[in-house]
Amino acid sequence: MSSAILYALAGAGVFVLGCYGMVVCQHLLRKILAVNFMGSGVFLVLVAFARQSQEGVPDAVPHAMVITGIVVAVSATALALVLMLKLAEETGAASLKDSDKQ
Amino acid sequence: MPVFILNIPWAALLIIVPLIGMLLAFLFSSAARWMGFITVFLNLIAVLGLAQELSSNGVFQHTVGGWSAPLGIELYADGLSLLLLFTTALVSLGVAVYAAGYFSHSKASSFWPIWLMLLTALNALFLSSDIFNLYVTLELLGLSAVALTALAGGRAALLGAMRYLLTTLGGSLLYLLGVALLYHAYDTVDIQLLSQRVEISPVTWTALGLMFLGLSLKTALFPFHFWLPPAHSSAASPVSALLSALVIKASFYMMLRLWLELFSDFGVIDQVLGLLGALAVLWGSWQALRQTRLKLLVAYSTVAQVGYLFLAFPLAGGNQVFAWYAAGYLLISHALAKSAMFMATGNLLQYGNHDRIADLDRVVQRLPITAGAFAVAGVSIMGLPPSGGFIGKWWLLESALVSGRWDLVTVLILGGLLAAAYIFRVLGYTFTEAPVPHEAKRVPPAMQWIALILASASILLGFLAPQILPWLNIGDALIVVEAGS
Amino acid sequence: MESLKLLSNVFDALLATSLVLLAWRILVHQDLFRTVVLFIAFGLLMALAWVRLDAPDIALAEAAIGAGLSGALLLVALARLQRVTASTEKRTEMTTRFTAPVVIYLIGLTALLGLLLYVVALLPTEGMGLNQALAENLDKSGVSHPVTAVLLNFRAYDTFLELAVLLAAFLGAWSLTDIRHYPAEHIEPVLQVLSHTLFPIMLMVSVYLLWVGATHPGGAFQAGSVLAAAMVLFFLSGGKLRLDFHGKLARVLLIGGVTAFLIVSLVTMLIGNDLLQFPILHAAGFIFFLEFIGMISIAAVLSALFLGCRGNVGRSS
Repeated sequence: MSSAILYALAGAGVFVLGCYGMVVCQHLLRKILAVNFMGSGVFLVLVAFARQSQEGVPDAVPHAMVITGIVVAVSATALALVLMLKLAEETGAASLKDSDKQ
Repeated sequence: MPVFILNIPWAALLIIVPLIGMLLAFLFSSAARWMGFITVFLNLIAVLGLAQELSSNGVFQHTVGGWSAPLGIELYADGLSLLLLFTTALVSLGVAVYAAGYFSHSKASSFWPIWLMLLTALNALFLSSDIFNLYVTLELLGLSAVALTALAGGRAALLGAMRYLLTTLGGSLLYLLGVALLYHAYDTVDIQLLSQRVEISPVTWTALGLMFLGLSLKTALFPFHFWLPPAHSSAASPVSALLSALVIKASFYMMLRLWLELFSDFGVIDQVLGLLGALAVLWGSWQALRQTRLKLLVAYSTVAQVGYLFLAFPLAGGNQVFAWYAAGYLLISHALAKSAMFMATGNLLQYGNHDRIADLDRVVQRLPITAGAFAVAGVSIMGLPPSGGFIGKWWLLESALVSGRWDLVTVLILGGLLAAAYIFRVLGYTFTEAPVPHEAKRVPPAMQWIALILASASILLGFLAPQILPWLNIGDALIVVEAGS
Repeated sequence: MESLKLLSNVFDALLATSLVLLAWRILVHQDLFRTVVLFIAFGLLMALAWVRLDAPDIALAEAAIGAGLSGALLLVALARLQRVTASTEKRTEMTTRFTAPVVIYLIGLTALLGLLLYVVALLPTEGMGLNQALAENLDKSGVSHPVTAVLLNFRAYDTFLELAVLLAAFLGAWSLTDIRHYPAEHIEPVLQVLSHTLFPIMLMVSVYLLWVGATHPGGAFQAGSVLAAAMVLFFLSGGKLRLDFHGKLARVLLIGGVTAFLIVSLVTMLIGNDLLQFPILHAAGFIFFLEFIGMISIAAVLSALFLGCRGNVGRSS
């Protein structure tokens, strides 16, 4: 039972790593992966504590929330990837740094 | 059967009607424009129906699926939700008229379904009373907004859209982490139940911090405003109008709602928000003054105006309810005025193929309606009487004077001066002749008139305060309940 | 047994640590292809973690969507990206220069990490959650599996909006890129044989997952994503559909899920119930209808998103 908290702590770690990647990584693909990590971190925190309820039957509401979250995350990832590809076609690179920005 | 006819569920219609419109616009792309018109018209009717229901029955509550919280999701509408729904409906009508003339057929078949999806997201957000459901509506809103931004095509719009997408996703996930913490601390995600159970504790502080950080990112509060000028200025003009007028306000609404219901006892946050709002007003107005391109100027003006909204947080402490009324009034005035301004700018862009402020070639003579729309909208943005913007800023000033917040009084006055500076600068150039005359293209009259109509509406608000205030009070949304009562 | 408990705790500790370390490796690794493959591995480790956390539904969804479909999307997008940027490829810098704002940000992040670890440790560990309310109402929901009951009845409104989110992502992708399948130059013969064998099996698995979702872990999302995976396999092995995404049939399939929910919403309101309130006697029927159409729609949208990421080669913008 106490091992669930390990996953929650890992979730916090993965979330913060995602925040790190969002800002520090330059390549758009990595930024997209970083967003996914932020999501995975939150999902871990949501579900880790759902395990703790009595009789060993987990609380299903966070499970449903996380499934919803996973689907939302893949939708966002797909849109981000298409946008990144379109951007790369226009600018030749997958980065937010634009060479002729002021 | 008769029961249904008498009790039309207006709130449910507000979500269903735009969704049906979106599906029809997607299925029948040649008729997309007409689907759009019908939908925004029906949407306005539904809002008026809801208003009538609120005025006779008070606050509206609906358990979706028949399951009441905490197991199910509840819809909730009070005066504050109504204000935002009504703003959305009005601006939507204007944008529909403008967009009909703006988009070519190929872009139009993409624009209308995504725009109607955005409208659904906005309505669903303003009606929801469940913090996880709010996350889903936020994501729907964000993805639709990004898709609309990228629609313009071209390097600037794609860059702006990508930055916007990443920022908005990061903000949503910060918010969701807060939701996770609150759920595990209090076993519910329903706002009404949470408001009864919330206590001051490290967990709640962290949740509050995360949620407000995420929502501030999405509302482009200084210093998180970096994504807004590129995105709003490079999007197509009707999209810029939507983004500045409505999408930004959705996350602000959430912050306001969460603050009023859950977090009003958490002292120092309102001061922090006020400080950031003040910085936004000054920085945004200053940057607007320095711009050479009109769309960027209008976008930075949004950054500044959003700052005004946040000034209400510190001013409303100590039961100065007027500050919240001011925020509400500024919200709707800004929505109308800013959308008019972006439409006017769009007209200028279409007319002369550029938006360089210094080269606005005698626009006053050649596009009088558009120049007039910009000027009238500018009156409200500056906060000159008799406009809605004036009422909002005056109430803020009054609250600041009464509370002895001389720092905020200074900010308000400085902000007003700077706004006057950048608006008059633009208007000045509309009278001048450009060094090299430009090819002029025709701008459809509908697009010009709708800008003027929206701008005039924001002025009209200045006269309607006594009529509007009672609506805001439905459900006592803006009265902060003391802890423990 | 004590030693079993100790072993499982050690396993959990290892898995949790691996998740964090792998996430770190993914973000700093040089080669993008390997990064994506590691990300798929991360998804599979997450699926393992869900199993350890007694969340088999999520494990299925994560494996199919989070690891499988996301991985496919990332790989084809990466391939297309490398083709597009081949002529202008500079070795992309991996880290930004550590200027003052970045350093401040990193310090803030460390503080955030500390705060989150502290707060997570503080959360009540014997929380009831909503178990009691769930147990009381489960028999009125029409299904006996709690997660399906929540997704398709108690909180069906969330699922409704979630299907709209999927559709919104599709609309965005569709407006940006030409969703068309293109003939691959060379199809691996092994892949073709594999796909011919696997495709019917995956179809069966997805229908099974849909059917069993009422009583056991499974349901529309898991089924839809396995079906989408089957379609991805079909496309990858050179299959062509005579479906044009500008045609009506494709559009109807894509909007099916949202439309099904809309129809159910209107029906429930017309019979005088609350929005999306299923009459208890027919709840199972309503749920199955929504799940069935939802599965097809989810598969359609995810496959379309895959095609959107794969896109057309060398097409001018």
